Amino acid sequence: MKSAVRSKPKPHANFEDEYRSSFDEYAGGGGELALGRAYELGRRALNEHKSLVEIASLHHETVLAMVRDAKSEKRTEELIQAGSEFLAECLSPYEMAHRGFQDAVKALRQLNETLEEEIKRIAYAVHDEAGQLLVAVHLALSEMALDLPQPQQGQVTRIRELLNEVEKHLRRYSHELRPTILDDLGWVPAIRFLADGVSKRANIPIRIEASFSGRLPGAIETTLYRIVQEALTNAVKHAEAKNLWIRAWKENLALCCSVRDDGVGFDPNQLQTSPHRKGLGLIAMQERVSAIGGTLRIESRPGNGTELSIRLPLEGNHANSHRTRG
Amino acid sequence: MSVGEIRVAINSDQDIVSARQKGRVVANELGFSSGDATLIATAISELARNIVSYARKGQITIRQVNGLNRRGIAVIADDEGPGIADIRQALRDGFSTSGSLGLGLPGVRRLMDEFEITSQLGKGTTVMVKKWRP
Repeated sequence: MKSAVRSKPKPHANFEDEYRSSFDEYAGGGGELALGRAYELGRRALNEHKSLVEIASLHHETVLAMVRDAKSEKRTEELIQAGSEFLAECLSPYEMAHRGFQDAVKALRQLNETLEEEIKRIAYAVHDEAGQLLVAVHLALSEMALDLPQPQQGQVTRIRELLNEVEKHLRRYSHELRPTILDDLGWVPAIRFLADGVSKRANIPIRIEASFSGRLPGAIETTLYRIVQEALTNAVKHAEAKNLWIRAWKENLALCCSVRDDGVGFDPNQLQTSPHRKGLGLIAMQERVSAIGGTLRIESRPGNGTELSIRLPLEGNHANSHRTRG
Repeated sequence: MSVGEIRVAINSDQDIVSARQKGRVVANELGFSSGDATLIATAISELARNIVSYARKGQITIRQVNGLNRRGIAVIADDEGPGIADIRQALRDGFSTSGSLGLGLPGVRRLMDEFEITSQLGKGTTVMVKKWRP
Protein backbone atom coordinates (compact mmCIF):
# COMPACT_ATOMS: atom_id res chain seq x y z
CA MET A 1 0.00 0.00 0.00
CA LYS A 2 1.10 3.49 -0.79
CA SER A 3 1.44 5.82 2.11
CA ALA A 4 -1.26 8.44 2.58
CA VAL A 5 -1.02 11.53 0.43
CA ARG A 6 -1.51 14.54 2.67
CA SER A 7 -0.85 17.31 0.23
CA LYS A 8 -3.78 18.96 -1.52
CA PRO A 9 -4.57 16.93 -4.64
CA LYS A 10 -3.99 18.48 -8.03
CA PRO A 11 -7.22 19.83 -9.50
CA HIS A 12 -7.19 17.43 -12.41
CA ALA A 13 -5.81 14.40 -10.67
CA ASN A 14 -7.42 11.10 -11.54
CA PHE A 15 -10.83 10.93 -9.85
CA GLU A 16 -10.34 7.45 -8.42
CA ASP A 17 -6.92 8.33 -6.95
CA GLU A 18 -8.26 11.50 -5.46
CA TYR A 19 -11.19 9.62 -3.92
CA ARG A 20 -8.83 7.10 -2.33
CA SER A 21 -6.42 9.71 -0.97
CA SER A 22 -9.21 11.94 0.36
CA PHE A 23 -10.86 9.03 2.15
CA ASP A 24 -7.52 7.97 3.53
CA GLU A 25 -7.18 11.48 4.88
CA TYR A 26 -10.65 11.42 6.43
CA ALA A 27 -10.10 8.02 8.03
CA GLY A 28 -6.85 9.38 9.46
CA GLY A 29 -8.68 12.19 11.27
CA GLY A 30 -8.88 14.69 8.40
CA GLY A 31 -12.20 16.06 9.69
CA GLU A 32 -14.22 18.71 7.89
CA LEU A 33 -11.44 19.48 5.41
CA ALA A 34 -11.62 15.94 4.08
CA LEU A 35 -15.44 15.96 4.13
CA GLY A 36 -15.37 19.19 2.15
CA ARG A 37 -13.19 17.41 -0.34
CA ALA A 38 -15.68 14.52 -0.50
CA TYR A 39 -18.38 17.02 -1.39
CA GLU A 40 -16.16 18.63 -4.07
CA LEU A 41 -15.48 15.15 -5.45
CA GLY A 42 -19.20 14.48 -5.65
CA ARG A 43 -19.70 17.74 -7.51
CA ARG A 44 -16.91 16.86 -9.90
CA ALA A 45 -18.32 13.34 -10.43
CA LEU A 46 -21.68 14.86 -11.29
CA ASN A 47 -20.12 17.20 -13.84
CA GLU A 48 -18.09 14.34 -15.32
CA HIS A 49 -21.27 12.24 -15.59
CA LYS A 50 -20.05 9.49 -13.33
CA SER A 51 -22.76 7.04 -12.41
CA LEU A 52 -23.79 6.38 -8.83
CA VAL A 53 -23.01 2.71 -9.36
CA GLU A 54 -19.43 3.59 -10.34
CA ILE A 55 -19.03 5.70 -7.20
CA ALA A 56 -20.54 3.00 -5.00
CA SER A 57 -18.13 0.38 -6.27
CA LEU A 58 -15.14 2.72 -6.07
CA HIS A 59 -16.14 3.48 -2.48
CA HIS A 60 -16.56 -0.19 -1.66
CA GLU A 61 -13.12 -1.06 -3.05
CA THR A 62 -11.52 1.87 -1.21
CA VAL A 63 -12.98 0.95 2.18
CA LEU A 64 -12.37 -2.76 1.69
CA ALA A 65 -8.67 -2.22 0.90
CA MET A 66 -8.24 -0.25 4.12
CA VAL A 67 -10.25 -2.74 6.21
CA ARG A 68 -7.96 -5.53 5.01
CA ASP A 69 -4.99 -3.63 6.46
CA ALA A 70 -6.76 -2.75 9.71
CA LYS A 71 -4.88 -3.88 12.78
CA SER A 72 -7.85 -4.25 15.12
CA GLU A 73 -11.58 -4.81 15.18
CA LYS A 74 -12.03 -1.33 16.62
CA ARG A 75 -10.16 0.18 13.66
CA THR A 76 -12.38 -1.78 11.27
CA GLU A 77 -15.47 -0.35 12.92
CA GLU A 78 -14.03 3.16 12.73
CA LEU A 79 -13.27 2.72 9.04
CA ILE A 80 -16.78 1.54 8.27
CA GLN A 81 -18.28 4.46 10.18
CA ALA A 82 -15.93 6.94 8.46
CA GLY A 83 -16.78 5.30 5.14
CA SER A 84 -20.49 5.92 5.44
CA GLU A 85 -19.92 9.55 6.51
CA PHE A 86 -17.55 10.18 3.63
CA LEU A 87 -19.84 8.54 1.06
CA ALA A 88 -22.89 10.53 2.26
CA GLU A 89 -20.91 13.75 1.80
CA CYS A 90 -19.77 12.75 -1.67
CA LEU A 91 -23.33 11.87 -2.70
CA SER A 92 -24.95 15.08 -1.44
CA PRO A 93 -24.51 16.88 -4.79
CA TYR A 94 -26.33 13.92 -6.36
CA GLU A 95 -29.14 14.47 -3.86
CA MET A 96 -29.44 18.05 -5.12
CA ALA A 97 -29.46 16.90 -8.73
CA HIS A 98 -31.98 14.16 -7.91
CA ARG A 99 -34.37 16.70 -6.40
CA GLY A 100 -33.84 18.85 -9.48
CA PHE A 101 -34.80 15.95 -11.75
CA GLN A 102 -37.89 15.23 -9.68
CA ASP A 103 -38.98 18.84 -10.11
CA ALA A 104 -38.20 18.72 -13.83
CA VAL A 105 -40.25 15.56 -14.34
CA LYS A 106 -43.14 17.11 -12.42
CA ALA A 107 -42.96 20.20 -14.64
CA LEU A 108 -42.88 18.00 -17.75
CA ARG A 109 -45.99 16.12 -16.63
CA GLN A 110 -47.78 19.36 -15.94
CA LEU A 111 -46.77 20.65 -19.36
CA ASN A 112 -48.23 17.54 -20.99
CA GLU A 113 -51.46 17.99 -19.06
CA THR A 114 -51.68 21.62 -20.15
CA LEU A 115 -51.07 20.52 -23.71
CA GLU A 116 -53.88 17.97 -23.52
CA GLU A 117 -56.21 20.66 -22.20
CA GLU A 118 -55.24 22.91 -25.08
CA ILE A 119 -55.85 20.13 -27.58
CA LYS A 120 -59.28 19.53 -26.05
CA ARG A 121 -60.07 23.19 -26.45
CA ILE A 122 -59.01 23.19 -30.12
CA ALA A 123 -60.92 19.98 -30.79
CA TYR A 124 -64.00 21.58 -29.31
CA ALA A 125 -63.53 24.73 -31.40
CA VAL A 126 -63.14 22.71 -34.60
CA HIS A 127 -66.06 20.42 -33.88
CA ASP A 128 -68.65 22.61 -32.24
CA GLU A 129 -67.89 26.18 -33.25
CA ALA A 130 -66.83 25.54 -36.85
CA GLY A 131 -69.68 23.02 -37.10
CA GLN A 132 -72.23 25.64 -36.07
CA LEU A 133 -70.88 28.12 -38.61
CA LEU A 134 -71.25 25.50 -41.33
CA VAL A 135 -74.89 24.95 -40.35
CA ALA A 136 -75.43 28.71 -40.70
CA VAL A 137 -73.82 28.67 -44.16
CA HIS A 138 -76.09 25.76 -45.14
CA LEU A 139 -79.18 27.68 -44.10
CA ALA A 140 -78.08 30.85 -45.89
CA LEU A 141 -77.40 28.87 -49.07
CA SER A 142 -80.75 27.12 -49.11
CA GLU A 143 -82.52 30.42 -48.53
CA MET A 144 -80.58 31.98 -51.41
CA ALA A 145 -81.27 28.98 -53.67
CA LEU A 146 -85.06 29.55 -53.40
CA ASP A 147 -84.76 32.74 -55.50
CA LEU A 148 -82.40 31.26 -58.10
CA PRO A 149 -83.25 29.79 -61.50
CA GLN A 150 -82.93 26.01 -61.96
CA PRO A 151 -79.31 25.73 -63.35
CA GLN A 152 -77.86 27.83 -60.50
CA GLN A 153 -79.85 25.79 -57.98
CA GLY A 154 -77.95 22.72 -59.16
CA GLN A 155 -74.68 24.58 -58.51
CA VAL A 156 -75.79 25.48 -55.00
CA THR A 157 -76.60 21.82 -54.35
CA ARG A 158 -73.05 20.88 -55.41
CA ILE A 159 -71.62 23.53 -53.06
CA ARG A 160 -73.75 22.12 -50.25
CA GLU A 161 -72.44 18.63 -50.96
CA LEU A 162 -68.89 19.96 -50.71
CA LEU A 163 -69.79 21.67 -47.43
CA ASN A 164 -71.04 18.30 -46.13
CA GLU A 165 -67.66 16.83 -46.98
CA VAL A 166 -65.89 19.66 -45.14
CA GLU A 167 -68.07 19.03 -42.12
CA LYS A 168 -67.36 15.30 -42.18
CA HIS A 169 -63.61 15.97 -42.29
CA LEU A 170 -63.75 18.54 -39.50
CA ARG A 171 -65.66 16.09 -37.34
CA ARG A 172 -63.16 13.35 -38.09
CA TYR A 173 -60.12 15.56 -37.34
CA SER A 174 -61.62 16.86 -34.14
CA HIS A 175 -62.26 13.31 -32.93
CA GLU A 176 -58.71 12.31 -33.76
CA LEU A 177 -57.33 15.39 -32.02
CA ARG A 178 -59.09 14.50 -28.81
CA PRO A 179 -61.09 11.36 -29.30
CA THR A 180 -63.99 11.14 -26.90
CA ILE A 181 -63.67 7.39 -27.47
CA LEU A 182 -60.34 7.49 -25.61
CA ASP A 183 -62.03 8.94 -22.54
CA ASP A 184 -65.18 6.85 -22.81
CA LEU A 185 -64.07 3.45 -24.09
CA GLY A 186 -60.29 3.37 -23.71
CA TRP A 187 -57.17 2.97 -25.76
CA VAL A 188 -57.95 -0.04 -27.97
CA PRO A 189 -61.22 1.31 -29.44
CA ALA A 190 -59.62 4.76 -29.83
CA ILE A 191 -56.67 3.33 -31.75
CA ARG A 192 -59.03 1.31 -33.98
CA PHE A 193 -60.92 4.51 -34.76
CA LEU A 194 -57.70 6.44 -35.44
CA ALA A 195 -56.19 3.68 -37.60
CA ASP A 196 -59.41 3.36 -39.56
CA GLY A 197 -59.30 7.06 -40.45
CA VAL A 198 -55.60 7.09 -41.35
CA SER A 199 -55.95 3.90 -43.34
CA LYS A 200 -58.81 5.31 -45.44
CA ARG A 201 -57.09 8.66 -46.05
CA ALA A 202 -53.70 7.23 -46.96
CA ASN A 203 -55.01 4.05 -48.57
CA ILE A 204 -52.70 1.83 -46.50
CA PRO A 205 -53.93 -1.27 -44.66
CA ILE A 206 -53.28 -1.13 -40.90
CA ARG A 207 -53.48 -4.30 -38.84
CA ILE A 208 -54.09 -4.05 -35.12
CA GLU A 209 -53.36 -6.79 -32.64
CA ALA A 210 -54.10 -6.04 -28.98
CA SER A 211 -53.86 -8.89 -26.50
CA PHE A 212 -55.58 -7.11 -23.67
CA SER A 213 -58.83 -5.36 -23.11
CA GLY A 214 -60.21 -3.01 -20.51
CA ARG A 215 -58.90 0.29 -19.29
CA LEU A 216 -55.35 1.46 -18.60
CA PRO A 217 -54.27 4.27 -16.28
CA GLY A 218 -55.26 7.63 -17.78
CA ALA A 219 -51.72 8.97 -18.31
CA ILE A 220 -50.75 5.78 -20.16
CA GLU A 221 -53.78 5.82 -22.44
CA THR A 222 -53.16 9.45 -23.45
CA THR A 223 -49.40 9.03 -23.93
CA LEU A 224 -49.76 5.83 -25.91
CA TYR A 225 -52.45 7.35 -28.10
CA ARG A 226 -50.30 10.39 -28.89
CA ILE A 227 -47.23 8.27 -29.68
CA VAL A 228 -49.11 5.94 -32.01
CA GLN A 229 -50.75 8.94 -33.65
CA GLU A 230 -47.34 10.52 -34.30
CA ALA A 231 -45.90 7.21 -35.49
CA LEU A 232 -48.75 6.70 -37.98
CA THR A 233 -48.34 10.26 -39.26
CA ASN A 234 -44.60 9.70 -39.75
CA ALA A 235 -45.15 6.37 -41.50
CA VAL A 236 -47.67 7.88 -43.92
CA LYS A 237 -45.77 11.12 -44.54
CA HIS A 238 -42.17 9.94 -44.77
CA ALA A 239 -41.94 6.16 -44.95
CA GLU A 240 -43.91 5.42 -48.15
CA ALA A 241 -45.21 2.37 -46.28
CA LYS A 242 -47.40 -0.24 -48.00
CA ASN A 243 -48.48 -1.90 -44.76
CA LEU A 244 -48.67 -0.90 -41.12
CA TRP A 245 -48.90 -3.07 -38.04
CA ILE A 246 -49.80 -2.01 -34.49
CA ARG A 247 -49.31 -4.46 -31.65
CA ALA A 248 -49.97 -3.97 -27.96
CA TRP A 249 -49.57 -6.37 -25.06
CA LYS A 250 -48.98 -6.49 -21.33
CA GLU A 251 -45.70 -7.84 -20.04
CA ASN A 252 -44.97 -8.20 -16.33
CA LEU A 253 -45.66 -4.73 -14.95
CA ALA A 254 -45.40 -2.88 -18.22
CA LEU A 255 -47.50 -2.13 -21.23
CA CYS A 256 -45.73 -2.69 -24.54
CA CYS A 257 -46.67 -1.41 -27.93
CA SER A 258 -45.02 -1.51 -31.32
CA VAL A 259 -45.77 0.29 -34.55
CA ARG A 260 -44.11 -1.23 -37.61
CA ASP A 261 -44.07 -0.35 -41.29
CA ASP A 262 -42.53 -1.79 -44.45
CA GLY A 263 -41.51 1.59 -45.84
CA VAL A 264 -38.21 3.09 -46.94
CA GLY A 265 -36.67 3.21 -43.44
CA PHE A 266 -33.85 5.50 -42.38
CA ASP A 267 -30.64 5.59 -40.41
CA PRO A 268 -31.61 6.35 -36.78
CA ASN A 269 -28.08 7.58 -35.96
CA GLN A 270 -28.27 10.25 -38.60
CA LEU A 271 -31.65 11.36 -37.30
CA GLN A 272 -30.36 11.93 -33.79
CA THR A 273 -27.54 14.20 -34.90
CA SER A 274 -29.29 16.34 -37.49
CA PRO A 275 -31.82 18.87 -36.27
CA HIS A 276 -34.30 17.60 -38.84
CA ARG A 277 -38.01 18.26 -38.80
CA LYS A 278 -38.66 14.53 -38.43
CA GLY A 279 -36.26 14.40 -35.50
CA LEU A 280 -38.24 16.96 -33.55
CA GLY A 281 -41.32 14.73 -33.59
CA LEU A 282 -39.25 11.88 -32.24
CA ILE A 283 -37.79 14.04 -29.47
CA ALA A 284 -41.29 15.09 -28.45
CA MET A 285 -42.32 11.40 -28.37
CA GLN A 286 -39.29 10.56 -26.28
CA GLU A 287 -40.12 13.31 -23.80
CA ARG A 288 -43.72 12.22 -23.45
CA VAL A 289 -42.60 8.68 -22.74
CA SER A 290 -39.91 9.62 -20.22
CA ALA A 291 -42.33 11.87 -18.34
CA ILE A 292 -44.15 8.73 -17.21
CA GLY A 293 -41.01 6.65 -16.79
CA GLY A 294 -41.22 4.66 -20.00
CA THR A 295 -38.77 3.86 -22.77
CA LEU A 296 -38.99 4.30 -26.51
CA ARG A 297 -36.83 2.53 -29.09
CA ILE A 298 -36.61 3.00 -32.81
CA GLU A 299 -35.23 0.37 -35.12
CA SER A 300 -34.84 1.18 -38.75
CA ARG A 301 -32.56 0.62 -41.68
CA PRO A 302 -32.70 2.24 -45.10
CA GLY A 303 -34.89 0.00 -47.27
CA ASN A 304 -36.00 -2.18 -44.37
CA GLY A 305 -38.93 -0.42 -42.75
CA THR A 306 -39.19 1.06 -39.29
CA GLU A 307 -40.31 -0.28 -35.95
CA LEU A 308 -41.09 1.88 -32.96
CA SER A 309 -41.27 0.07 -29.62
CA ILE A 310 -42.67 1.63 -26.49
CA ARG A 311 -42.65 0.24 -22.99
CA LEU A 312 -44.57 2.03 -20.25
CA PRO A 313 -44.48 0.95 -16.59
CA LEU A 314 -47.95 0.29 -15.18
CA GLU A 315 -46.63 0.64 -11.68
CA GLY A 316 -46.71 4.17 -10.31
CA ASN A 317 -49.01 5.40 -13.04
CA HIS A 318 -52.10 3.85 -11.47
CA ALA A 319 -52.69 6.81 -9.22
CA ASN A 320 -53.80 8.90 -12.19
CA SER A 321 -57.52 8.54 -12.42
CA HIS A 322 -59.33 8.67 -15.70
CA ARG A 323 -60.14 12.06 -17.00
CA THR A 324 -63.73 12.87 -17.47
CA ARG A 325 -64.86 14.66 -20.53
CA GLY A 326 -65.25 18.35 -20.17
CA MET B 1 -30.96 25.01 24.92
CA SER B 2 -30.04 27.77 22.60
CA VAL B 3 -27.26 28.19 20.12
CA GLY B 4 -25.60 31.56 19.74
CA GLU B 5 -25.00 33.25 16.44
CA ILE B 6 -21.87 32.19 14.59
CA ARG B 7 -20.25 34.27 11.90
CA VAL B 8 -17.65 33.05 9.43
CA ALA B 9 -15.88 35.44 7.08
CA ILE B 10 -15.63 33.93 3.59
CA ASN B 11 -12.56 34.85 1.58
CA SER B 12 -11.18 31.55 0.35
CA ASP B 13 -11.81 27.85 -0.18
CA GLN B 14 -10.42 27.29 3.29
CA ASP B 15 -13.21 29.42 4.79
CA ILE B 16 -15.81 27.28 3.02
CA VAL B 17 -14.56 24.32 5.05
CA SER B 18 -14.78 26.21 8.32
CA ALA B 19 -18.34 27.42 7.52
CA ARG B 20 -19.34 23.82 6.77
CA GLN B 21 -17.82 22.70 10.03
CA LYS B 22 -19.64 25.36 12.08
CA GLY B 23 -22.91 24.54 10.33
CA ARG B 24 -22.52 20.87 11.11
CA VAL B 25 -21.82 21.56 14.77
CA VAL B 26 -24.92 23.75 15.10
CA ALA B 27 -27.05 21.20 13.21
CA ASN B 28 -25.90 18.45 15.56
CA GLU B 29 -26.54 20.57 18.64
CA LEU B 30 -30.06 21.30 17.44
CA GLY B 31 -30.70 17.58 17.07
CA PHE B 32 -30.72 17.23 13.27
CA SER B 33 -29.94 13.73 11.98
CA SER B 34 -26.49 13.23 10.48
CA GLY B 35 -28.12 12.95 7.04
CA ASP B 36 -29.78 16.35 7.48
CA ALA B 37 -26.51 17.77 8.82
CA THR B 38 -24.85 16.62 5.59
CA LEU B 39 -27.50 18.39 3.51
CA ILE B 40 -27.09 21.56 5.60
CA ALA B 41 -23.32 21.42 5.12
CA THR B 42 -23.89 21.01 1.40
CA ALA B 43 -26.19 24.04 1.26
CA ILE B 44 -23.58 26.08 3.16
CA SER B 45 -20.91 24.95 0.70
CA GLU B 46 -22.98 26.03 -2.29
CA LEU B 47 -23.70 29.43 -0.73
CA ALA B 48 -20.09 29.98 0.30
CA ARG B 49 -18.88 28.84 -3.11
CA ASN B 50 -21.11 31.47 -4.71
CA ILE B 51 -19.57 34.14 -2.48
CA VAL B 52 -16.02 33.08 -3.38
CA SER B 53 -16.70 32.85 -7.10
CA TYR B 54 -18.91 35.91 -7.65
CA ALA B 55 -18.26 38.38 -4.81
CA ARG B 56 -14.78 37.22 -3.74
CA LYS B 57 -15.61 37.94 -0.10
CA GLY B 58 -18.56 38.00 2.26
CA GLN B 59 -19.79 36.19 5.30
CA ILE B 60 -21.91 33.28 6.41
CA THR B 61 -23.99 33.57 9.56
CA ILE B 62 -25.44 30.51 11.23
CA ARG B 63 -28.04 30.66 13.96
CA GLN B 64 -30.93 28.91 15.60
CA VAL B 65 -34.46 29.92 14.64
CA ASN B 66 -37.54 29.29 16.75
CA GLY B 67 -41.05 28.74 15.44
CA LEU B 68 -44.20 28.26 17.47
CA ASN B 69 -43.70 24.55 18.07
CA ARG B 70 -40.48 23.90 16.33
CA ARG B 71 -36.94 24.99 15.94
CA GLY B 72 -34.47 24.96 13.16
CA ILE B 73 -31.33 26.39 11.67
CA ALA B 74 -30.92 29.54 9.60
CA VAL B 75 -27.98 30.19 7.31
CA ILE B 76 -27.46 33.69 5.97
CA ALA B 77 -24.96 34.35 3.22
CA ASP B 78 -24.24 37.96 2.45
CA ASP B 79 -21.72 39.72 0.33
CA GLU B 80 -21.02 43.13 -1.12
CA GLY B 81 -20.35 41.76 -4.56
CA PRO B 82 -21.75 42.83 -7.93
CA GLY B 83 -25.28 41.64 -7.11
CA ILE B 84 -27.60 39.59 -9.32
CA ALA B 85 -29.30 41.34 -12.23
CA ASP B 86 -32.00 38.74 -12.81
CA ILE B 87 -32.88 36.76 -9.69
CA ARG B 88 -35.49 34.63 -11.43
CA GLN B 89 -32.89 33.54 -13.94
CA ALA B 90 -30.36 32.82 -11.19
CA LEU B 91 -32.90 30.50 -9.58
CA ARG B 92 -33.56 28.60 -12.79
CA ASP B 93 -31.69 25.35 -13.32
CA GLY B 94 -28.79 25.42 -15.70
CA PHE B 95 -28.15 29.16 -15.45
CA SER B 96 -25.45 29.08 -12.81
CA THR B 97 -21.92 28.69 -14.04
CA SER B 98 -21.86 25.22 -12.51
CA GLY B 99 -24.01 24.17 -15.46
CA SER B 100 -25.25 20.97 -13.88
CA LEU B 101 -28.93 20.53 -13.20
CA GLY B 102 -29.79 21.11 -9.58
CA LEU B 103 -26.53 22.64 -8.31
CA GLY B 104 -26.04 26.24 -7.19
CA LEU B 105 -28.90 28.36 -5.84
CA PRO B 106 -31.73 26.16 -7.20
CA GLY B 107 -30.10 23.20 -5.45
CA VAL B 108 -29.83 25.07 -2.16
CA ARG B 109 -33.51 25.96 -2.39
CA ARG B 110 -34.41 22.28 -2.77
CA LEU B 111 -32.25 21.15 0.15
CA MET B 112 -33.72 23.62 2.62
CA ASP B 113 -37.30 24.38 3.76
CA GLU B 114 -37.25 28.14 3.30
CA PHE B 115 -35.34 30.33 0.90
CA GLU B 116 -35.17 34.12 0.62
CA ILE B 117 -32.95 36.18 -1.60
CA THR B 118 -32.43 39.90 -1.98
CA SER B 119 -29.92 41.48 -4.27
CA GLN B 120 -29.05 44.95 -5.47
CA LEU B 121 -26.86 45.57 -8.47
CA GLY B 122 -23.53 46.98 -7.35
CA LYS B 123 -24.43 46.58 -3.67
CA GLY B 124 -24.45 42.88 -2.98
CA THR B 125 -26.58 39.82 -2.34
CA THR B 126 -28.14 38.26 0.76
CA VAL B 127 -29.51 34.74 0.80
CA MET B 128 -31.28 33.39 3.87
CA VAL B 129 -32.23 29.74 4.11
CA LYS B 130 -33.88 27.81 6.92
CA LYS B 131 -34.36 24.19 7.70
CA TRP B 132 -36.76 23.06 10.39
CA ARG B 133 -36.19 20.04 12.53
CA PRO B 134 -38.63 17.30 11.64
